[in-house]
Amino acid sequence: MDLYEYQARQLLAEQGIDTPKGIFAQNSHEVAEAADEIGYPCVVKAQVRIGHRGQAGGVKLAKTQDEAILSSEQILPMTIRGHKVNGVLVAEAKNVLHEYYVSISLDRSSRDFDVLATANGGTEVEEIAKEHPESVKRLHISALQDFDMDAARSMAESIGFYHADVDQAADVLLKMWKCFKDNDATLVEINPLAKIGDSDDESSKKLCALDAKISLDDNAAFRHDGWKRFADTTHTDMFEEHAKEHGLHYVHLKGEVGVIGNGAGLVMSSLDAVSGAGEEQGTGVKPANFLDIGGGASAEVMSTSLSIVLSDPQVESVFVNVYGSITACDQVAQGILEALKKLNISKPIVVRFDGNAAAKGLKILEDAHNPNIHVSATMEEAAQEAARLAKHTKETTK
Amino acid sequence: MTLFIEDNAPVIVQGMTGHQGMTHTARMLNAGTNIVGGVNPRKAGQKVTFHVDETDSDIDIPVYATCGDAKEATGAKASVIFVPPCFAKDAMLEAIEAGIGLIVVITEGIPVADTAYCVELALRKGIRIIGPNCPGLLKLPETDDPADKGINLGIIPDGIVSSGPLGLVSKSGTLTYQLMGELSDIGFTACVGVGGDPIVGTSLVEALQQFEADEATKAVMMIGEIGGNAEQDAAAWAKEHMTKPVVAYIAGFTAPEGKQMGHAGAIVSGGKGTAQDKKEALEVAGIPVGKTPGQAAQLIRKMMDGGTSKA
Repeated sequence: MDLYEYQARQLLAEQGIDTPKGIFAQNSHEVAEAADEIGYPCVVKAQVRIGHRGQAGGVKLAKTQDEAILSSEQILPMTIRGHKVNGVLVAEAKNVLHEYYVSISLDRSSRDFDVLATANGGTEVEEIAKEHPESVKRLHISALQDFDMDAARSMAESIGFYHADVDQAADVLLKMWKCFKDNDATLVEINPLAKIGDSDDESSKKLCALDAKISLDDNAAFRHDGWKRFADTTHTDMFEEHAKEHGLHYVHLKGEVGVIGNGAGLVMSSLDAVSGAGEEQGTGVKPANFLDIGGGASAEVMSTSLSIVLSDPQVESVFVNVYGSITACDQVAQGILEALKKLNISKPIVVRFDGNAAAKGLKILEDAHNPNIHVSATMEEAAQEAARLAKHTKETTK
Repeated sequence: MTLFIEDNAPVIVQGMTGHQGMTHTARMLNAGTNIVGGVNPRKAGQKVTFHVDETDSDIDIPVYATCGDAKEATGAKASVIFVPPCFAKDAMLEAIEAGIGLIVVITEGIPVADTAYCVELALRKGIRIIGPNCPGLLKLPETDDPADKGINLGIIPDGIVSSGPLGLVSKSGTLTYQLMGELSDIGFTACVGVGGDPIVGTSLVEALQQFEADEATKAVMMIGEIGGNAEQDAAAWAKEHMTKPVVAYIAGFTAPEGKQMGHAGAIVSGGKGTAQDKKEALEVAGIPVGKTPGQAAQLIRKMMDGGTSKA
């Protein structure tokens, strides 16, 4: 789960990392109040789960209340690269002397944790990393290892913090590590970690997290009260929410062919097959969703799954792809028939069964003599048929 | 060299007395796996009766308090873990401490920090973990001896395939079964599901290393999916070290950025871990990638027929 900036700053602040004062606001009234409280100039920043929002116009400086309100009215309705803005953070504007980048993340390949840092932080950090990879320092921390202040200090030196900043940087690193561990994070990134203050007054200079990005491990939610405090009630997809309530893994993709299968890999493969069929047939038909019924699904789970997929009005046909293992195809067949009985379904359902109880499952479907049920022998044929029928249904019901 | 584990090795099941554990212990026993014990501190000293269809007989499996006790009593060489995610770290640590050489973790939903810790500890002790969030390991019998049943650790269905020259390694369960089904006439030495989590105990590279070193394996089918760099790492390793042909299939070309597709590890983030990137890396390494599972099966079939093997 990716956090919004204002939530990430909250976790950093809990560890005692310096962040400029900031208030989350979701309408112009709240923005006006927040801006007055923060003082001027202040920065109005889009809260959105995607990077490079500055380049997209999602960060603006405001010198007066009117400017703050105007900025928020421009930012709040924005969608940045497909991600809706959830609100704005009104934050203190700081006099930035220098920008560092520092992150701690899970390294899937080396199966440990990475500390990544560069003295050239800021918005261009990715380009700098590409053009001058030597300026980005990387350190691995073993999963069995922990580190203390001394280690953090030598880390800060080796990853390129300037001499005067080493002690403070070590302190920030140590707190970031604690934030990472305590919260079961997979990423804690501060960019920029800014040196702020009066350029003539050495004692006023300090390191401060001007922006933060944190991702949490969904699998660890059980030991963090389900991440309730970070629940996003404003931007969840209705269908995804509904599926979640039933313990099903569903991803809404907004195409025409509903896809249901058992096992994440097989469902992903089915999505690819539907897209491929849409391309081949020249119709551009695409999958409407990802839905994994999991292992050992009962007839009831299948029936619920079908009703969720069909509640999406964009769905014109459904592709059910099951390779029976712990899941038995006869159970899935029963579930399909139950759903058909309950719902008044006029959309075609293309079924492909293989493995455990496949013949039994196909017999159950055959005996039902339902004209909306189509059976295909292979996954590829089923995907072609579902894509063709989606196009057909769309045209005949228009 | 032994491919993962020798046939008929004694096996214990952690979480055997739970619903999943009971179901799959029965299934593994029926597949001929030499299950010698279960672990559950609250049921230590009890016996659980399972029915074996082939011989139409009952078999009593003793329950031990700890992995250590079980290993001492049975000489177990492998453990299969079915415990819920919140107990999985303790279960893995217990098996590692007991020095059980192969630990197969079926459990889905384990926090990645727990897995990272256990995997690192296991690596240092020379213990192999397979998984978590995986279907396990199926080894087909190495010999024609009817007493040789191979070994079935986890949830991979028995009876789809028989012994043959192919190796199979996969991040996904059902796609494993799909490809096993497509290639059942050729047959396999072993099929291993390495798991769909961001960190796993046996990577695609480590599985390829096993198949490369195994004499009976002549070609390998590799099934990948979006997320991480395991396929790119495997491509780079295979290019340098692999003498046997590899054919790949990758799932998730249509997966949108930032959305987790079922498996905890199946996510494209920051433009990284896309199916397209993986496909390109594999093809650069000379590994053909099938567009569909069926096409991947055809590619490896042609290789076996045409004898175009590099070996």
